[in-house]
Amino acid sequence: MLQETVKFTPTDLAKYPFLKDTAAYMKRLGLEIEELTSPELAQILTRAQERLEQALLFVYTGQKAAGDIEIPSFPVAIMLAIATKTSFIKKRYALAEAKQAYLEFQGETAERLMAIARDFDWNIALNTESGIPLDYFSVSLADYLRNITHLRDEKWKLINRLLVRGRVFLKQQDVARLLQEDVQRRIDIRLDAKEAPEFPGPITAIADKLVEMAKEKIGEQEMEGFPKVVSQSAFPPCIAVLYDAATHGKHMGHVERFTFTSFLLTIGMPPEKVAETFKTSSDYNARLTRYQVEHIAGSKGSGTKYTPPSCSTLQTHGVCTNSDELCRRVHHPLNYYLRKQKLQPSVQTNA
Amino acid sequence: MFSRDWVYENFRAYYRSPRYEFPSPQSFSQREYAFLLFKERAMVRHKSFHSSAALVSSLRERIPSDVYHSCAYYENPDADMDKKGWSGADLVFDIDADHIPTSCNKLHDEWKCGNPACLVAGGMSGRGITPEECPACGGVKFETKTWACEECIDTTRTETRKLLDMLTNDFGFSEHEIHTYFSGHRGYHIHVENNSVRSLDTMARKEIVDYVCGIGLDMFDKKRRDSAKQKRKTSTPVFALGDYGWKRRLKNGMRTYILNSAKEGLIELGVSKKGADVLFKNKQAIVNRCIEEGRWDTVKGVGFETWMRIAEHVKDQEIAQIDTVVTSDIHRLIRANGTLHGKTGLLKAEFPVKDLDTFDPFVGAVAFKEGTAHVLVSDAPEFKLSGETFGPYKNQRVELPTAAAVLLILKGRAEVQN
Ligand code: SF4
Ligand SMILES: [Zn+2]
Ligand SMILES: [Zn+2]
Repeated sequence: MLQETVKFTPTDLAKYPFLKDTAAYMKRLGLEIEELTSPELAQILTRAQERLEQALLFVYTGQKAAGDIEIPSFPVAIMLAIATKTSFIKKRYALAEAKQAYLEFQGETAERLMAIARDFDWNIALNTESGIPLDYFSVSLADYLRNITHLRDEKWKLINRLLVRGRVFLKQQDVARLLQEDVQRRIDIRLDAKEAPEFPGPITAIADKLVEMAKEKIGEQEMEGFPKVVSQSAFPPCIAVLYDAATHGKHMGHVERFTFTSFLLTIGMPPEKVAETFKTSSDYNARLTRYQVEHIAGSKGSGTKYTPPSCSTLQTHGVCTNSDELCRRVHHPLNYYLRKQKLQPSVQTNA
Repeated sequence: MFSRDWVYENFRAYYRSPRYEFPSPQSFSQREYAFLLFKERAMVRHKSFHSSAALVSSLRERIPSDVYHSCAYYENPDADMDKKGWSGADLVFDIDADHIPTSCNKLHDEWKCGNPACLVAGGMSGRGITPEECPACGGVKFETKTWACEECIDTTRTETRKLLDMLTNDFGFSEHEIHTYFSGHRGYHIHVENNSVRSLDTMARKEIVDYVCGIGLDMFDKKRRDSAKQKRKTSTPVFALGDYGWKRRLKNGMRTYILNSAKEGLIELGVSKKGADVLFKNKQAIVNRCIEEGRWDTVKGVGFETWMRIAEHVKDQEIAQIDTVVTSDIHRLIRANGTLHGKTGLLKAEFPVKDLDTFDPFVGAVAFKEGTAHVLVSDAPEFKLSGETFGPYKNQRVELPTAAAVLLILKGRAEVQN
């Protein structure tokens, strides 16, 4: 297949600073972290801070600056995000960059879009299959599957796609949307640095400011994970059904049991309480239940803690039932629970 | 116990025969192996071997009743689970009569709750597919009495055929990437060894499961349905049919269904008498107009309800019934090719994809080819092995070829006689 070589210009890199060429560009600039606090480079730092602020407030990355500020401000913003040590900020920033890129992708030529995709190591080509529109692209099955993980709309399900001999056929807008996912994932990975280096004082100061800002924006609770009080009225429909089954001693399959147990444990119910939730009909069964619950909680057996499966997994195994309006906007029963809780007045029961 | 010892002797002789060869899976040394020990009935896991010769000598020493390997590849296959270093996995499919409702399983499968404290005295029992948990007490241990008949094999073969169609036409795997096996009991395993799917995670594999099982399929042409809505013709379904993938499957399926339909069949589906009448009398015209040309709203008496029932029925026919858990589990242990099955004494046996219809497991997977034994059979239906027909037996002494005797003993239906 004929592949045109597309060279990325600095203008491209300013739009898509996550491309591989940015590293080479940065090398030519020869930036050091310590220098960032020097006045010459203050502009870059300011732009980087703005990227993050805009991301937190509007899921946007702000007005572009000139090339030699704009391009380096991206890796610096990554560093700032790492320095906040706050997963909410990191997630939000990756999302903002990805959304921004998506807007740009939609206006690209087919060649350039494919060049970007290939920079991400995608196997992509223009459609040559008869009976499928000529302006469609085809991507490999693996590239497609890797990038739809977080997409909820049923149109993204593989089964609703044209899949022909291992190639998934897509129009440009859909390619752009999948690239957005890949941008986000790649930035997520970069932000997930296990060992954050020591940052100079001024950088830590900006990071602290960003954390303050994030707290104002979303409130402490969500930033610190799950509240420890269980509010049964916020259970998603699937869990409510399982709760009913468990408390009435009804038959529950393996997937059901696992889902229910791991859900309750994750939202903070102590293992003993979870075991009590199952109405059991014999001593033998009560023991078995306790064992299972403790196993899932991570105190017995493997030692791994388990989280409940996502909505799509539950759909696959037929556990998703009575899904409602709110379900349409979540990918995960835990997510449903958190959102529902926020919508409710704070009457909570200690289940 | 004497019978089980006798079976053990046969397993031992089989693995210790100088002719025994183990057919290595791809990337042999990156896999975890596991043995279910014959006598102890305990699972030995996290084994790895450098060569198939090393594995064979371990088989000869331990004489397991069942041998498994991981579908996954690991950096350290013999380490604990969290230190193994997962580096990929084959895409595997399990199609087993244990999970598929066949018309024969009510005839030859029985289960009994193994919980000594079951609410039903002596343990609740039933026929057909074994439940995951006892309906009476929730127990999860069962004594089962199953059988593998030709109908079990036919049913699973049909499902396998549908799966293979998807794997080649839709997923584009080539015949040398797809390996097909008789499972050793009553079904088929399909392994796909392909570099691009090796690294797929559970979520991605689940998408593949959904594709194969028809989960989440949107059968409609959205654009045209929306415009139909605008024209207030909401009662018209506008199916998206086409030449590829599920669109092709639905199109061909609906066409064939209608052309071959009988009135009773349609009514059984829930189609109104009148609708069935119209469809039945105008088969070809309706196929041409609706299915070929997409003019869904032009047949009086055949509306949304009718079309939906037909489409749903066709979809259910087109899916391949796989074990959904097996395919999405990236650490799964799967029975090793060329080893004996502890419930039958038959081999898990590979055959070329193109031979699916001609490969007879009850001939090709027979391991024990010599000798006979005198057994007392409590009860067994008629069955075929190596081309010979046996039974049915009820409380009778017979002399059987070794393979048949092993099968009946492992199925709990016979005891060996001195
Ligand atoms: S959509 Fe998700 S949260 Fe809602 S019922 Fe289904 S599985 Fe539960
Ligand atoms: Zn029971
Ligand atoms: Zn059968």
